[in-house]
Amino acid sequence: MAMTGLTSGTTGAAQGSAPLLLRHLAESLAMVGAATLLGLVIAPTWGAAALDLIYLLPVLASASFYGLRPALFAGLSSALAYNFFFTEPVHTFRIDDPADVVTVAILLVVAVVTSQLAARMREQAQIAAANAARNATIAGFAGRLLSCSTVTEIGQITCRQLATLLECNAVLVAGGAGQAELVTSEPPDVALTPADLAAAALAVDQGETAGRGSPRLNPAEWLFQPLKSSSAVLAAVGLARDDGARPVADEQLPLLDSLLDQAALALERARREQEMRDVAQVRERDRLRRVLLSSVGHDLRTPLTAIVAAAEALRRRPNDLPELGAMIETEARRLERYVANLLDMARIESGAIRLKIEPVDLVDAVAAAAHDFRHSQADRELVVDVPADLPLVRADPQLLHHCLINLLDNAGRYSPPHSTLLVRGRQCGAGVVVEVVDEGPGVPAEGGAEVFERFTRIEGSDRKGGTGLGLAIVSGLAEAMSLRVSAANRADRKGAIFGLHFPAELAVDQRPEEASD
Amino acid sequence: MSRNPRILVVDDEPQIRTLLRATLIRAGYQVVEAGSGRETLNALAIDKPDLVLLDLGLPDRDGLELVETLGKSETKVIVVSARDDTEQKVAALDLGADDYVTKPFDTDELLARIRAALRQRLASQAERQVVRIGEIEIDLLQRSVRRGDGEIHLTPKEYALLAELARHPGRVITHRQLLTRIWGPAHQDRTEYLRVTMRGLRQKLEHERAKPSFLINEPGVGYRLVIEPGRNPSAQ
Repeated sequence: MAMTGLTSGTTGAAQGSAPLLLRHLAESLAMVGAATLLGLVIAPTWGAAALDLIYLLPVLASASFYGLRPALFAGLSSALAYNFFFTEPVHTFRIDDPADVVTVAILLVVAVVTSQLAARMREQAQIAAANAARNATIAGFAGRLLSCSTVTEIGQITCRQLATLLECNAVLVAGGAGQAELVTSEPPDVALTPADLAAAALAVDQGETAGRGSPRLNPAEWLFQPLKSSSAVLAAVGLARDDGARPVADEQLPLLDSLLDQAALALERARREQEMRDVAQVRERDRLRRVLLSSVGHDLRTPLTAIVAAAEALRRRPNDLPELGAMIETEARRLERYVANLLDMARIESGAIRLKIEPVDLVDAVAAAAHDFRHSQADRELVVDVPADLPLVRADPQLLHHCLINLLDNAGRYSPPHSTLLVRGRQCGAGVVVEVVDEGPGVPAEGGAEVFERFTRIEGSDRKGGTGLGLAIVSGLAEAMSLRVSAANRADRKGAIFGLHFPAELAVDQRPEEASD
Repeated sequence: MSRNPRILVVDDEPQIRTLLRATLIRAGYQVVEAGSGRETLNALAIDKPDLVLLDLGLPDRDGLELVETLGKSETKVIVVSARDDTEQKVAALDLGADDYVTKPFDTDELLARIRAALRQRLASQAERQVVRIGEIEIDLLQRSVRRGDGEIHLTPKEYALLAELARHPGRVITHRQLLTRIWGPAHQDRTEYLRVTMRGLRQKLEHERAKPSFLINEPGVGYRLVIEPGRNPSAQ
């Protein structure tokens, strides 16, 4: 990978291992030998004049392949070999002819100069390759960070990258003094000591390197680097090796810095996004609170007013008891439902719903809801049509009960007195759907989903004393149980159909033989 | 009956106690009251009530603790709980409470529950052996179920379920209790067994399977065999 190229590149150029150097020297010597042999072959025919040029070949080759020192060695040995084999007196290192002295000297100088040139070129090529590898590493890392939106994800990617690159353990710690906490680590089962956490907190608070190998807080086993955005320190990355050695070599520091910058950028972006989400949530909650307050004013006061008035009238005209008593009961039940809905809404909003999922027979569920409904809205006919062989479904019975009650309540509220409501269950593909069908005004032109949004009131519904809270609760509870809600208009006549859809995976595979014996 | 049954009303709200006292006295019961856990324990020792109407939300003591204590005695317990506390209801029933009502409760429903809970104390041995629901007769001794003259054939599990409910007519039996007694403790979470068996039972006993009138489901809690459909609103 990119990282291996980088490591061998830098270290190879800097010193090279001793055996490698020896091999390069030996190979340079062999090339000089080959040039000498070639010279010995052609010298008797063409004379020794051209031979000095032949010796440039091993010097150049050695310089470009092996670097400075083997090239110098090749230059020196070429000069000596030329001197020994081809200058008068032959087979001695003495030189009689002044022209030969010049040749040997030039050979040496050329060797030195070319080897230096070649070696420098080689080094630059290596630096370029190293830079390319580094940039590829950074770009790849930045690319992977782009897909992350949480601190944990960013931490995981960062730790994995650093662990692979530096061949060490890496952790990401968030929070300053007193609240520093390990977000993620590579390998995953790392434990930090209090000293480590203190070093991490120091790195976050001061925005400077802390921990092992740094001037600050040496007792820590990890070296912590801060992740800084333009405005703040967002977290700290800790590095350590199992053998306790320094986790980062000096030449890796620039790359590490670049990577940490990328991680800091990603963290900053994630933080901004979170802030924007928070703001949107706060606004939505504010809106809800306003609507809820006005709804409380309306929906609590209306039945209360009726109850108080009826009770007063009853005191003056005890003979009207049957009528007034019934009115008090109706209004009180309306209050009861409303308070129950407020509580449900609060639970949905605060995410405090605890599901207790079990196999539910929709015959049971609908019968229980129908019972409650008939209790509160006696003047509407309710027809139940749930086939007894419908598959069982997985749901929280209590929440499902509330969903059905609210759907029935809603249907009752929006349909004319003495009209007929129908609640039916049927199979729909591999799933199951329960539908409440009414004879009311229907839902606004196919804007089905809208009526389930919080506090949408169907036009002109004010007099009915509803807030749309009921449908919002249905939608909230259904979502908690992974059900889908739907609203549509009847095809056969005026009226709405509200549906609760149980997807196939919530239908229970029944094995009656197991159950019955 | 030597005397009218005595009911201890436990609730920390005086208005609720006043209301219940009036209702219960009109229905022919003797009433004593308690507003806290301590008073409850005193009243239990001194007044020896036949039945306790226990609100679980007491200021000085966990209501479930009282249920546990009472569950071991002869005294019947009906728990009064907030609307949504299914878990608490189930916990109370599993700890030995005989039934529950949900606040705000319906007076008729409350009285029906009280009658059902007291019935067993008062019922004679013979009455306990045969349970009648409309035209259906369950003979717990002969292990037979008849409608009019004809015998209704049930599978062993269906009969076991019906018998378990019929032994405590009118009272809710939790899913866990039913599963443990019929399928064994290892299957106490297999609610689907119960659902499927109940379907079979309804098919054979109920007139309209989609509108059960005496094999009544209490969402998330359990089943109840309603034997006085005329007076119990559960049967519409």
